[in-house]
Amino acid sequence: MGEYMVYDTVCKRRGDFFVATLYEKRTMLTYAIRRLILVLPTLWAVVTFVFFLIRIVPGGPAVAALGSYATEESIRQLEKQMGLDKPILVQYGSFLKNLCRGDLGKSLITHKPISQEIFRALPYTLDLAIGGMIIGILFGIPSGIMTALRRNRAPDYIGRILSLVGISMPEFYLGILLMYLFAIKLQLFPVLGGGDFSHLGSRLYHLFLPALTLGIIMTAFVSRMVRSSMLNVLGEDYVRTARAKGLPERKVIYKHALRNALIPTVTVIGIYMSILMGGSVLTEIIFSRPGLGKMMVFAVKDRDYIALQSVIIIFSAFVFLFNLITDLLYAVIDPRIEYH
Amino acid sequence: MRKILAFSLVALISIIIACLPVFAQEKVVRMALKASDIRSLDPHYGTTTIDYACIDPMFNALVRFKPEDINPEKIEPDLAERWERSKHGLVWTFSLRKGVKFHKGYGELTAEDVKFSLEKAANKASSGFAADYAALDKVEVLDKYKVRITFKSAIPSVLGILTNYHGGYIVSKKAVMEKGDKFKFDPIGTGPFMLKEYLAKEKVVEVRHPEFFRGRPKLDRVELWFMPDASSREMAFRKGEIDIVEGEREQAWVNKMRTVPGTAIEIFGPGETLTLHFNMTKKPLDDIRVRRAISHAIDRGELMKFLGADVTSKLVSVIPMDYLGGTDKVATYEFDPEKAKKLLAEAGYPKGLDLSMVITEMSDYRRPMEQVQEQLRRVGIRLKMDVITHTAYHEQIRKDVNPLVLYVCARFPTADPLLTQFFYSKSIIGTPTAVTNFSHYNKIDNLIEKARVEPDPKKQKEVWGEAQKKIIEDAVALPLCITKFVFARKTYVDLGYEMRSTLTLVTPIKETTDIRK
Repeated sequence: MGEYMVYDTVCKRRGDFFVATLYEKRTMLTYAIRRLILVLPTLWAVVTFVFFLIRIVPGGPAVAALGSYATEESIRQLEKQMGLDKPILVQYGSFLKNLCRGDLGKSLITHKPISQEIFRALPYTLDLAIGGMIIGILFGIPSGIMTALRRNRAPDYIGRILSLVGISMPEFYLGILLMYLFAIKLQLFPVLGGGDFSHLGSRLYHLFLPALTLGIIMTAFVSRMVRSSMLNVLGEDYVRTARAKGLPERKVIYKHALRNALIPTVTVIGIYMSILMGGSVLTEIIFSRPGLGKMMVFAVKDRDYIALQSVIIIFSAFVFLFNLITDLLYAVIDPRIEYH
Repeated sequence: MRKILAFSLVALISIIIACLPVFAQEKVVRMALKASDIRSLDPHYGTTTIDYACIDPMFNALVRFKPEDINPEKIEPDLAERWERSKHGLVWTFSLRKGVKFHKGYGELTAEDVKFSLEKAANKASSGFAADYAALDKVEVLDKYKVRITFKSAIPSVLGILTNYHGGYIVSKKAVMEKGDKFKFDPIGTGPFMLKEYLAKEKVVEVRHPEFFRGRPKLDRVELWFMPDASSREMAFRKGEIDIVEGEREQAWVNKMRTVPGTAIEIFGPGETLTLHFNMTKKPLDDIRVRRAISHAIDRGELMKFLGADVTSKLVSVIPMDYLGGTDKVATYEFDPEKAKKLLAEAGYPKGLDLSMVITEMSDYRRPMEQVQEQLRRVGIRLKMDVITHTAYHEQIRKDVNPLVLYVCARFPTADPLLTQFFYSKSIIGTPTAVTNFSHYNKIDNLIEKARVEPDPKKQKEVWGEAQKKIIEDAVALPLCITKFVFARKTYVDLGYEMRSTLTLVTPIKETTDIRK
C-alpha cells in the first residue's frame, strides 16, 4: 500500500485553492513516478527468481517437446537449438539484454514470438478479471450493506454463511458446478473457449460463466469487507449527528456511512484484483479460455522457460499497476489523504 | 440502488442476447483432446498424440494403413498408385497418382515433392524421425510421376516407413522452401482438410480441401481443441459443444458415458503397452531371483480388473500380438505370491526388501503403478514412490534413477522398434546413443540385427519370437497389459468407416466423415 498521511491543509490555510490543487496534482504525480521507478527492481527480482527457479526444477523443454521419443542425442540436439547448452549465466545475460530491448523472445515449444501470444491471451484474462470484479462489486457492496444494517438478524446470518461458503469454495469446483447448472442443465451458456474476440456478443456470452465463477468468490470477499466497514462507520459520531439532524435514513447510509466505509473496501478490492488475475489460472483451464493463466500453466508443464518468464513479468506488472491505482484512488475517495 | 442494479442486469442480459453469434449451418466436427498445445504441424516433427491428430487429416503418404486397421500386412496405395520392388528388396519404384493437388494453390504433387519429403524426413536437421531412415541410400526422380527409392541395407518394413505415420508423410517442396521455419505452423499437404488457423493453447481449425483426390470431403470444418482438464472435456461433450472427446481409460468413465443419450463409446487399439522394466545394474535387481520374485508377485489379472475390463487387454510378451512379430509363445510368470516370497528368501531377503522410485503424476502411469505397489507390499517388497511431473519423470528415468521403470507406449506395429528401443545395447540409457533401454540389457543384439535383414517374413517372425523368449526368461521386463484408447462420439457423427485401431491414436477424421443430424 502507498504511503499516505492525513492532509494538514497547509495550502488551504493560505486561502489559495488553485495552488492547493496544483500542489496535490504534483505530489500525486511525483508519487506515481516514484512508484513506477521502484517497479523496475521489483520486476527484475521476480524475473531473476523465476529464471533460476524453473531451471532448477527437473525436466527440461527438450524432454517435454520430444516426449516418449526422446533419445539422448535428440535431447542434446534440441537443447542446442534452443540455446540451452550455453552456461546459465550466459543465458541469463542474453535474456536481460533482450528484455531491455523489449524483446521477450520466442516460445521454446511453438517458436512463435511470446509477445504475440501474450497480446492474444491478455485481453481474455483482463476480461475475466474485470468481469469477476464487476460482479463482485455489483453484488458484494449491496449485500455487505444489507447484512450490516440487519446485524445479527436472519439476513445477516444468511449473508455471512453464504460469503463464508463463497470464500471457501475453490474456483475449479465452483466453475464445474456452474457449468453443470447453466450449461448442461439449463443450456443457457457455453462451456468452451473465449468466443470470437472481435464480436462483443460472443465475447460476453463466453465470458459470463467464468466471470460468474470468479465473481461469486469476489462477492463473498467484498460483502464481508463492506459489512465490517459499515459496522464500524455506523457507530461513528458523525453518523449519529446526521441522524440527530433528522436526515432521512437513506441519506445517512449512502451519503455519510457508505462513502467512508468504501475507503478500506477500495484498498481490499485493489488487492483482490491481483488475486483475480491469479484466480484466472484455474478458471481459464476449466473453461478452456485462451488467457494468460492457461498460458502460464502450460508453460510450467512444458518447461517453456521463455513463455513462463514473460507471463510472470506481465502478471507482476499488472499486480503492481493495480496496487498503484488503488493507492491513487484513495485521494479521490478521501480528500484528506495526501501523497509524499 | 436497487433500480440501478436491476437496470444494469437487464442491460447486460439484453446486450448478450442481442449480440449472440449467428452460427451458419456448416458441417463441423469438434474434437477435444487431452493436450495443452501442439508441438508442430510439420509431420516430420510431430511427436505427440495431439500433433498426430492435427497432422493426419492434412497429409498423405505414398502408402497408407486402412483407416480402421493398423495391420502392416494390409497397407494400401495412397499417393502412389502402384509399386515394384527389386529381388532383394533394396530398390523400390513408385508410380504416383496424377492430378493430386496440394492445399491453397501449391500445385500438383510430383516426384520432386516425394524426393524432397523423404530426404527431409531422413535428415536430422529437418526431421525428428531421421533414425527411421538410416538405411535410406537415395531417392531418384525417374519422371514427373515416378520415383525410385534405394536402401543401403534391408529393413524390417519398407512400406512401414513410407506410410501415413511419422516421416512417411509427403509435404509440398515449394511450400517448405517458401515458408522455411514457418512451415511448422503453416503446413501444406494433400490431405482432405487444410489448415485454417492455429490458436496457441486453444485449438487447430482445419477446413475442407475441395480438390482432394479421393473426392470432396463431406465435412466443412474440423476443430481440434486442446483441453487437458477431463471434467471440462466431459462437460463440453455433454453440452454438445464437442462431438468427439478423448476419454479417461477407466471403466468408471466408460460406464458413466454409456448412459449419456446419443453417445457411442469407441474403445480401440493398438493401445499402449504397459511394461515394467527392471534396472539390472541396480541392487537388488541385478539378481534374477529378485526380478522373478517381483514378476510372480504381480497379479496382472487383478491389475486389468482394476484398470477396467473394457479398456485393457492381455500382454503376454513385450511385443503385442497384433504387432508384426508379436508372440504369445513365451514363458509366463504366473501370479504366485508364495513362490515370490521363496525366491526373495533364496536371494537373501527373507524379510522382504525396500525399493524407491519416482513416478509421474499422469494417471495412465500412476494408477497402475499404485496397484503394483500394493501387490508388491503383500509379498514384503516395500516400494516407496515419489510422484513428480510427467516431464520430470521422463528426464529422471533417463538419468537411471529408478530400479523399476514403468513405460507406457505405442510404436509402429512391428517388433523391431520396441525391441530396438528397449532391449538393444546401443539404446542403453546413459550412452551417447541412448533411447529407452532402462534395463541395460545387451543379450539379444544379434537377434535384433538378424531379424532386421531377414528377407523371409516367416523366418523374421521366428527370430523376433526367439528374442522375446530370451527377454522373458532373463526377467528383463514384465509385460503388464495393454490399455486401449477411449473416446466418446456423438452418434450423429458418422466416421465413414468402422473404427478398430489406428496409429493416429485418436479417432481419425477422414473425407468420409459426416454429420447426420
